[in-house]
Amino acid sequence: MSGMTTAAAVGALITRTVRGWAVDPAAGREGAAELEIVDGLLRRLTWLEGAAADGITAGGTLIAPGFVDLHAHFREPGNEDAETVATGLAAAAHGGFTTVCLMPNTTPAIDEPSVLAAVTAAAAASGSPVRVLVHGAVTHGRKGETLAALGELADAGAVGFSDDGAPVRSAPILRNALAYAGALGVPIVDHPEDPALTEGAEASEGYVATVLGLRGWPVAGEAGAVARAIAILADVVRDVPGARLHLTHVSTAASLDHVRAGKAAGLPVTCDVTPHHLGFSDEWIAGARRWAWEAMGEDGRARDPWTDGALVAPPFDTSLRVNPPLRSAEDAAACLAALVDGTADAIATDHAPHTEVDKHVEFGWASNGISGIETAIGIVLAAVESGGVPLARAIEALTTGPARVLGVRGERHGVAPGLREGEPADLVVIDRAADWTVSADALCSKGKNTPLLGRELRGVVRLVVAGGRVAYAPD
Amino acid sequence: MTAQADRPDAAPSGSVGWHHRHLLDVDGLTRPDLELVMKTADEMSEILARPIPKVPALRGTSVTILFYEASTRTRVSFEVAAKNLSADVVNIAAASSAVSKGESLVDTVRTIEALGADMLVMRHPASGAPYLAAEVFGGSVLNGGDGWHAHPSQALLDLYTLRSRLPGGSLEGRKVVILGDVLHSRVARSNIWTLTAMGADLWLCGPSTLLRGFEAWAARGAAGRRFTVTSDVRAALRDADVVMALRIQKERMASGLLPSLREYAARYGLTTERLRAARPDVVVMHPGPMNEGVEIAADVAVDPRSVITAQVTNGVAVRMALLYLLSGTKSGEGA
Amino acid sequence: MTGRRIMAGEDVRRATIRISHEIVEKQAGTRGLVLIGIQRRGVPLAHRIAAAIREHEGVDVPVGALDITFYRDDLSLVAQQPIVKGTAIGFDLNGRTVVLVDDVLYTGRTIRAAMDALIDFGRPQAIRLAVLVDRGHRELPIRADHVGKNVPTSREEVVRVMLEETDGEDAVDIERVATARSASGTGA
Repeated sequence: MSGMTTAAAVGALITRTVRGWAVDPAAGREGAAELEIVDGLLRRLTWLEGAAADGITAGGTLIAPGFVDLHAHFREPGNEDAETVATGLAAAAHGGFTTVCLMPNTTPAIDEPSVLAAVTAAAAASGSPVRVLVHGAVTHGRKGETLAALGELADAGAVGFSDDGAPVRSAPILRNALAYAGALGVPIVDHPEDPALTEGAEASEGYVATVLGLRGWPVAGEAGAVARAIAILADVVRDVPGARLHLTHVSTAASLDHVRAGKAAGLPVTCDVTPHHLGFSDEWIAGARRWAWEAMGEDGRARDPWTDGALVAPPFDTSLRVNPPLRSAEDAAACLAALVDGTADAIATDHAPHTEVDKHVEFGWASNGISGIETAIGIVLAAVESGGVPLARAIEALTTGPARVLGVRGERHGVAPGLREGEPADLVVIDRAADWTVSADALCSKGKNTPLLGRELRGVVRLVVAGGRVAYAPD
Repeated sequence: MTAQADRPDAAPSGSVGWHHRHLLDVDGLTRPDLELVMKTADEMSEILARPIPKVPALRGTSVTILFYEASTRTRVSFEVAAKNLSADVVNIAAASSAVSKGESLVDTVRTIEALGADMLVMRHPASGAPYLAAEVFGGSVLNGGDGWHAHPSQALLDLYTLRSRLPGGSLEGRKVVILGDVLHSRVARSNIWTLTAMGADLWLCGPSTLLRGFEAWAARGAAGRRFTVTSDVRAALRDADVVMALRIQKERMASGLLPSLREYAARYGLTTERLRAARPDVVVMHPGPMNEGVEIAADVAVDPRSVITAQVTNGVAVRMALLYLLSGTKSGEGA
Repeated sequence: MTGRRIMAGEDVRRATIRISHEIVEKQAGTRGLVLIGIQRRGVPLAHRIAAAIREHEGVDVPVGALDITFYRDDLSLVAQQPIVKGTAIGFDLNGRTVVLVDDVLYTGRTIRAAMDALIDFGRPQAIRLAVLVDRGHRELPIRADHVGKNVPTSREEVVRVMLEETDGEDAVDIERVATARSASGTGA
């Protein structure tokens, strides 16, 4: 990176010139480029050719639009020991994200405008230029019984409605919500789960859960809920063409097949996958630590970690307990394939920080969630490195993909990922040739609950600029 | 299974003797490990036959027994074993302590260590709990049963009992049937590892709802181990050398897994009539406690071919052997 | 490792026979005598002594085997040597004169552990000790009643006793090694 200056304070307008391999999904273009930012504005973007491009490769400095996270939990109000909006934003910036959409499962839930206002106020007070968008709850208190103040929440700026943490429990409520929100132009972001099938479940139903004696989480517990939601959507769009359903953290091949079929039928359904469902499989609970794609055999079936000698860590690590659970390597491969073929519109982190108290307990009693916003790009780049997904597609899934899901509402909040001359710079610069060790100190989030602790990740975020202002610039 | 330094029970390669600091599961025990436990248990049986069944091997060692599940039989078995080795024993039944007030497992283990415990014998309803204990405990942890996951000392005493009962002491090629609620059984899971390690022709049998997931395990064969899974009790028992009946609990009906205990007893209960399909010298086992009339008929339990009482006696010898072997590893040695 | 032979096969045989005569002489006969060999090599030695007594007295003195592994005062060796060889004492010890038999007497700790073990089996009238080699360096107040050969040694040396029954030949060698303790035949 040439023309580097000394560290800039968070929130300051930046002046800097960066050179590297730029990937701009908005323009549909990637290649060697030089970007000149002056007082926060992207003054000039030059695509380099010939000798000027010498030495600049996709494996070196990477420049992309700032990432957009559709799904993160910042725990404020109500559980500030685990994370606050301020610490969450610091973590988001460290992860390369310039826009974060927060889930409403706080205490109290974000089921009315005053709570939403408190969250956005906390964001403003943090001094971080990272954009904070909020999903309102679908139902009062997320109890699944009556609709929340959807209209008022939409007016107050909600970009989606979700009862996340939980599914929308009742089918009629889901149907009504899709219809009502559809008229408002706001998507329902559903956490697809059938609680009757997942009661007491600890790990994905399958070979690993059987050997480890953990209560199984059947695939049908997600796929059934996905199918139900899409079927309901099909009925709703007949009356409300603007209705939209976004399924979040889809984790199984069966669920993704339903989404694929729904899209083929022209239904307005979108979905996202998480980095941990791409990168880890349930064998990690048994003690494996290889990437999910490394656990796949040539025959398209998952390898046996007990035979492979792949078990290198103690089993039952609670940093692996998450909802939906880590799935088989075959399902992880299906998530990656869905990313490549577009069935998965976006990668969303489902960043879920927890205190040590909530995690340093027996596996079955640990809170669900992985603190993942800072390690997302590392996992995604590892997948790119393995050949599982092209770099451009991966960046698209982190930028224009989620922006499309947010649609007009996102645009109104300034979400328009792209490297465009004349506009405030909104980008991330990553050194793909450097490594960092994931450690409690290195993580900005209060949540240290990641199974990647102690691991070296390739891809160091060097600079993050949001709306022309510095979000992260350690050098 | 190969293990590396981060595993709680890593063994340096090529070494003779016992190098596992903890005994949390039997998945990683090699055949030499199993032989060593058997031999040591033989010696312990000899000690138990003496007028004074006691040796000073663990004198000065403090053993804390921490059971979060009610179990008189196993808890007392461990206590007797530790005392026979002259260890100092503290026996904690969870309901009577701060544990029931909501003290976390981590805090409880740290307190126990601060009170001078060298070894911790633990039983807990959550699968994986002993691994958490091992993470924070400076001495050795012996898993006395965790959730559905593992019950190392039971599998080892079952193995010991079979070796002393089967001709030639070998399980190679012998048809061993585990019959009953396999899904919820840590005894079954641990026995799968040890019996296949010793070359048995293992069959799992029960109603299909209670075998959930095991067909996939049998097909994948963790570490190359193979076994057969079936709901056909007649096929399972045919020519069996060993039948191990597992306890059926009333709760299984409540969760909708079984229509009724009566139906289970009628279709899968181990009766004298059903046992006729097995070899005439079949060995009958049960980890206890038994529901006579449900998974096992009363007359089968006292049949001369039953080794159920021997299992209890052998339990003390095997647990003495395990405490002895674990006592020889100190923190930092063998990781 | 350099070694020298301090007893050859014939020396071992003669020493064993002399010890067997001494034992009977001290007891003024064979009444009440039992021999208990300490695992591992004390056991075949005890059997040989019993055979010699049978030869010259015409009496079968009972022989037992004692494994002191569980009576050791150092658990740290369990990891390397947990293999137990077996205790077999098929007779009553009460009121008898027990002659403990071992191959090498060194620190005395093995004999202390053996006496602890014997007390658990009963109450002998007397306990005596017969060893093939006494190499000195006692750490406890223990002495042998019958000694095959006194061999002054240094702590850097190892006394290696070999017997036909366990090693294929009869001999006693001394070897100099870098570390003071070794596994075979020492630490008694």
